[in-house]
Amino acid sequence: MSFVPKTQPFNGKINTVTLGTGDKAVVIGGQNVLPFYTFDAPIENAPKIGVEISDLANEWTAPGLKEFYAGCTTMAERAKKAETMPGADFICLHFESADPNGENRSTAECVADAVAVAEAITMPIVIMGCKNMEKDGELFSKISEALQGKNILVMSARSEDYKTVGASVALAYGQKVGAETADDINLAKQLNIMLKGLSIAPQNIVMNIGTAAVGYGYEYVASTLDRVRAAALAQSDADLQMPIIAPVSPDTWSVKESSASEEDEPAWGNCEERAINMEVATASADLIGGADAVIMRHPDAVAAIKKFITELV
Amino acid sequence: MALKGLDIFKMSPKKNCKECGCPTCMAFCMKVAQGAASIDKCPYFSEEAKASLNEATAPAMKTITFGKDLKMGGETVLFRHEKTLVNKNLFAVAVSTGMSDEEVDSKLADLQKVDYDRISERMYVETVFVSNTQNDPAVYTKLVEKAAATGRALILECWDVECAKAALAVCKDSKPILDGATPANWEAMNAVAAEAGVVLGVYAENISDLYDTVKNLEAKGNKNLVLDVTGKTAKETLANAVLVRRTAIKDGDRSFGYPSIVNLTRIAKGDSHLQTAYAAMFVEKYASIIVMENMSMAQALPLYGLRQNIFTDPQKPMKVESKIYPLNGADENAPCCLTVDFALTYFLVSGELEHANTPVNLLITDASGMSVLTAWAAGKFSSTSIKKFFEENDIENKIKNRTLIIPGKVAVMKGEIQEKLPNWNVVVGPTEAVQLPKYMKNKEYEAAAAAAAAENAAKAATGAAVEVKELSFDELLATKVPKIEVVDMGVNYKGHNPDSQTFVTIGERIHCIAPSVRKAMDERDPAPILKRAAEQIAAGATYLDVNIGPAEKDGPERMMWAVKLLQENFNNVPLALDTANKRAIEAGIKVYNRTNGKPIVNSADAGSRISYIDLAAANDAICVALCSADGIAKDNEERMKHCHNMLERGLSLGMTSDDLWFDPLFLVVKGMQDKQMDVLNAIKLFADEGLKSTGGLSNNSNGAPKTVRPIMDSALVAMAMMQGLTSAIVNPCDLRLMETIKSCDIFKNNVLYSDSYLDI
Repeated sequence: MSFVPKTQPFNGKINTVTLGTGDKAVVIGGQNVLPFYTFDAPIENAPKIGVEISDLANEWTAPGLKEFYAGCTTMAERAKKAETMPGADFICLHFESADPNGENRSTAECVADAVAVAEAITMPIVIMGCKNMEKDGELFSKISEALQGKNILVMSARSEDYKTVGASVALAYGQKVGAETADDINLAKQLNIMLKGLSIAPQNIVMNIGTAAVGYGYEYVASTLDRVRAAALAQSDADLQMPIIAPVSPDTWSVKESSASEEDEPAWGNCEERAINMEVATASADLIGGADAVIMRHPDAVAAIKKFITELV
Repeated sequence: MALKGLDIFKMSPKKNCKECGCPTCMAFCMKVAQGAASIDKCPYFSEEAKASLNEATAPAMKTITFGKDLKMGGETVLFRHEKTLVNKNLFAVAVSTGMSDEEVDSKLADLQKVDYDRISERMYVETVFVSNTQNDPAVYTKLVEKAAATGRALILECWDVECAKAALAVCKDSKPILDGATPANWEAMNAVAAEAGVVLGVYAENISDLYDTVKNLEAKGNKNLVLDVTGKTAKETLANAVLVRRTAIKDGDRSFGYPSIVNLTRIAKGDSHLQTAYAAMFVEKYASIIVMENMSMAQALPLYGLRQNIFTDPQKPMKVESKIYPLNGADENAPCCLTVDFALTYFLVSGELEHANTPVNLLITDASGMSVLTAWAAGKFSSTSIKKFFEENDIENKIKNRTLIIPGKVAVMKGEIQEKLPNWNVVVGPTEAVQLPKYMKNKEYEAAAAAAAAENAAKAATGAAVEVKELSFDELLATKVPKIEVVDMGVNYKGHNPDSQTFVTIGERIHCIAPSVRKAMDERDPAPILKRAAEQIAAGATYLDVNIGPAEKDGPERMMWAVKLLQENFNNVPLALDTANKRAIEAGIKVYNRTNGKPIVNSADAGSRISYIDLAAANDAICVALCSADGIAKDNEERMKHCHNMLERGLSLGMTSDDLWFDPLFLVVKGMQDKQMDVLNAIKLFADEGLKSTGGLSNNSNGAPKTVRPIMDSALVAMAMMQGLTSAIVNPCDLRLMETIKSCDIFKNNVLYSDSYLDI
């Protein structure tokens, strides 16, 4: 009468995608079970952690971040330092300041930064844009061209600009492309179909299916992750079997819990501690939902999530 | 767990004695399976069979209560999108007899510091986990008393029988959990828990022993249990938590159908960040109680936020409290921005306003948690609701600044709001939240506010607004409704026999959401409306729906005009009257000609719009009855509950059941694909009870490409007609859909076949 657990491996399997080159290259995806369900079947590749370096990083105020990057002034210096962060698997360059409605830094300057980083580090590189489609289109294309052979991932091909981004990033320059949608599983599938329609191989596609900080409509993210994984594994839907990357830190560091000062919210306590916990909780929720890689910022948060992944795989 | 008729039949006496009223045992068992007959109607079912039937129909997971009012378990699905998660997990902070007094005191004091409201929910540490490590009854009792003084519910982790007895003696009235049964002591511990009448927690070193211990306890009749699934590592704990829940819900093994405790102090001791990470995971993956070493605000903010999100019913919108939210240090002199109480709208708008960094009072009105446009169309965000909000919150006195910025999407409401709030300078703001920072920073509202102020002053100068007497329908008809001119549109309405069994199509194209219709209604311009009507009639629509918008101001004369316009031009085409203004519907019915069928009131629901049934009953009209109350029904049990409520109300008011057309609420495939069969099954349930049904069928294909929509709509209408759908609100100009409906009417033998059936 004793209990015999029923295991539930699936026939469907998440694609594996390799980022970067050489010893530091990382492989994400590959499992045929729900996240961390090692009791159903072993996890082929543990989820990976990317460290976010923004070109506005000099505005970061958290003491732990300032201390970690002390003495760094350029993106390349920060990236080199980030490579030493325990738990880091890849580096994510976030070109926030390219936004024409913000600092409107030129594409040439951003490309120069990316090139300098690529020369300074050996870890895989992921590129995040400024959300302005026109500028991103230009930026993604030029960076992909300049970093040919580095096997980088460019985060954002959206339903509006997938043709230009897909064609330049993946087809012309052989980089990996990220299919970005916002909590819409039907569109996520459609976008993958359209990218494949451009003759981009599935092994070159990663998905970002939408993100939010926990507490901020996160139920949509959670359910989209659940449903994407259910379709990919239980229904063997090849158009949703791309691994998932979740940019955690850009969302979590901008919410009130992470940014309100101790004077404004005396009952909330230390601000940096709040930001770390916000980042940790959101990353954990993303990972248990199905993210194969998370992008994070604070060394303490990265350390906690690294431990989390190591313990669970 | 639904049991199939055949499973019940296997246990039946198979006598076919007819004593139950059914012709055969098989027929009886089918009825029992549907819930249409009670098993007790059969005198020959053995007690054993009945017991096993009851067992089989019991919920897969028990709901366990403890403390004052804490509930755990009762889940029916593994993922929230499948239906909804029912009882949110609880948090506990651990104290133990191994700690110093100072440590215990500071933990108990700290846990009480977390106590705040977030979106109408109290966030606090609900329970204290009191661990016994020394096996001295006096020491343990002292600790329990200290913990009890916090007023929080207690979980007594205590494997020693004497200590447990002593502790319960001082706290059993507060209904704690005795987390004390193990494979070694379960019999004795069971007696202690039973005697005190408390929930018993069960722990074992591995999941197999846990299962056996539960079986032993169940054999003793104790099903008031909670399972401590914490393993030696985080990996093992996750495995246990998932396997226990999955075994209960997916495999239907009720011996694991109990709530679970996950104790993070055992697997992440001394590492608060790691505890946050694990806690976030176990919120989603099946812990009912998560035990932490501490709960700082830094941990509480993300964890409670996550929990609130995960345990939101996917079909009920999340609402924020309706009130004034002063932002960026706003006082009574700051301008006001107004919007609805849908949580996502609130977060988006308040976030953007905070970025603007200028003081502003954000006014959130009650709109049943709908987004701006949806609420407007449903009449939940109207000048009346806004006025009510201003009165209830005494805003006129609380805020001195008179600039009121309304969402650009409801610019059309500006006039009505201005009229209801004559002392305010109403300004139409941006249509999207992202435009707000620039708009507020540059004070782009100032010119418009000044203009509104000047206009208000001019109005005030010409004398205070005279209270307008409400005119009777006859007076309105004589003075406010333009004379109808009959225009030959080259289309003739063929007439409709109300007794016909054929499928009734209600043409949806005269709707105020379409800007051209809205404009035509505002200006009483017949041409655009007649054009849309003619197209729909030519395409074979049985009824036409007339949506005049919320029409708060001039609803009655609007509707009278529209009804007369359409009926006089098109041979008294029957109409469905569609608006949130009830008086407008009444007015429309006053001038309505019934030659081709009764008017349809569109629509009632089982919630705030239930009185539309009264309106239909009083006016001998048909009523579309939406089987929902607040938000979409979560399953067919709820749909049928709403259906029966409305049926009862209609019948008690003298309606016949044929005049209530039940709407299951067709759902959009993009987003609710997994609920489509539920909707279809609901139609079958209506039909089985002899009820008529209708609904906005084309909603299923909302957002799909134009080329795809007719195909999806046609397939769905065929499936729905098979289930017994008798009518639908559709676009009759969709030829494929109309041909499918006509073909289905042939197969259903509603109309006699002829080679040219598509043409008639």
